[in-house]
Amino acid sequence: MTNAHTTGHEILVEVSGYPVAVDRMYHADSHMWVKRLTPGTVRVGLDALGVETSGTLAQLSFVAVGDELARGRAFGQLEAAKFVGPLVSPVSGTVSRTNDAVVTDPGVAEHDPYGEGWLVELTSADETELADLLGTPEAITEWFGRTVEDYRLRGVIAE
Amino acid sequence: MAEAWRLIQDEGAGAAEGLALDEALMGAYGRGQPEAPPTLRLYTYRSHCALVGRYQNLQAEVDLEACSRTGTEVSRRPTGGGAIVMGAGQLGVALIDKAPVDKRPREIIEESSAAIVAGLAELGITATFRGKNDLEVAGRKIAGLGLYVDDAGAMLFHASILADLDVDFMLEVLRIPVAKLADKAAAAVGERVTTVTRETGQPHVGAAVRDVIAIGFAKTFGVQLSPAAPDRTELLRAAALVGDRYRADAWLNERSAIPDGSGSAVLKTPSGLLRMYVSTHGDLVKSAVIVGDFSILPRAVGRLESELRWKRLDTGTVAKIVAASGADRALSVSADLLTQTVLTAGRKASMLAAAAPVRSAGSCYFPEQSLERM
Repeated sequence: MTNAHTTGHEILVEVSGYPVAVDRMYHADSHMWVKRLTPGTVRVGLDALGVETSGTLAQLSFVAVGDELARGRAFGQLEAAKFVGPLVSPVSGTVSRTNDAVVTDPGVAEHDPYGEGWLVELTSADETELADLLGTPEAITEWFGRTVEDYRLRGVIAE
Repeated sequence: MAEAWRLIQDEGAGAAEGLALDEALMGAYGRGQPEAPPTLRLYTYRSHCALVGRYQNLQAEVDLEACSRTGTEVSRRPTGGGAIVMGAGQLGVALIDKAPVDKRPREIIEESSAAIVAGLAELGITATFRGKNDLEVAGRKIAGLGLYVDDAGAMLFHASILADLDVDFMLEVLRIPVAKLADKAAAAVGERVTTVTRETGQPHVGAAVRDVIAIGFAKTFGVQLSPAAPDRTELLRAAALVGDRYRADAWLNERSAIPDGSGSAVLKTPSGLLRMYVSTHGDLVKSAVIVGDFSILPRAVGRLESELRWKRLDTGTVAKIVAASGADRALSVSADLLTQTVLTAGRKASMLAAAAPVRSAGSCYFPEQSLERM
């Protein structure tokens, strides 16, 4: 079911046909990953399943650098097919950087969701909030595998 | 006893006013709001209004001079998708609720659309999904769909049901370059779009299909619908949104960072020359149309056009769609040639987009066809 390998800067594991990077943390409901860059700085992106179940990404937009975010609030918006919705921050913090590459080409977030397709960076990330995320490779792969199975049963993704 | 949903019914909304009330209704369903049953709004717009999608370029999609000449109002929807014309002939559907956290966007769109399918079935019309974006009847679009979830977690499911459609008017106000095909334009629309009027053989306007759509929602969700009016808070919020957003220049003139483009390529078939038109948003296909002397548009070609929408223009993706559509066999050409024709049209669209970034990407029905000789 899983097959680990390293690519670029990520440690990727294949779970039920989808890649998952296990060197970071995940917020299950939003399908957002959080990777610690330096103490107090994190990078945030959308996982492969979040990308797949949104549909082809047509547009990504972000709030301004310097904006303060509370956990659960939007740091941007995505358009995928006929869906327009918020990109929900899994942690609190101040937006320190946004990824221009995915604004001009959202396909980057599809092709490389854990690497070049990152979305924003936040400073002052709250350590207690990080502790609430899925943070061990075992917990991540178990949750991801279960979610893929559930989505397949519901017809959200192809068999 | 079945849960009671609030049903709001109104007629002749202005472009900004219609959209503003939909968004105002979302206020009761955001984070921290008490639990409340969903609100269903079934309404019509004033004849006529032209509404572009969330990230479209208004001036590229709508002929503003024609709008001014015909008294057509314009605005931008919060939902995605292409430009549409709304008026007495179309029924607007807005379902407002707290966005379910355990469902993905596709599921919400599909579940909400099932109610419209059920409503149309009351008229004897069998509608089905097309590429998860539209509802179709025998390969022709009868309703457009969209979903918007706001920052507070409230959702707005939008649909526009074509009870009737003034095709000539649509060709006049939307920048649908198929209009340049002159006498063939209306026929080309007719091959891809249908209406309740056409399907039933009886004239219908938007308001006339409201009751059956309401029945569809009641049956599908197992609820009762209780007619009501928006409350004072919602009306005040809607009034503010008209000025602050839906009529505001900043909202109307918003531009995407990703260029839209259009291009075409010729396809030689044993029965003659066809032209493939592709409109793009970056490397994404927004619409694809194959024009030729078809007596009847082959279903497989319609399938190909539909399946290409919202897909990326890379060889693997396009080849897979071509193979699955069967359009290569229907047109008696090789799958590889058809794939290459799509990619060539797409490459031209990208080149033109880079050269002229405000070019039209076309409406929800047709892509731009200017520079067709390229």
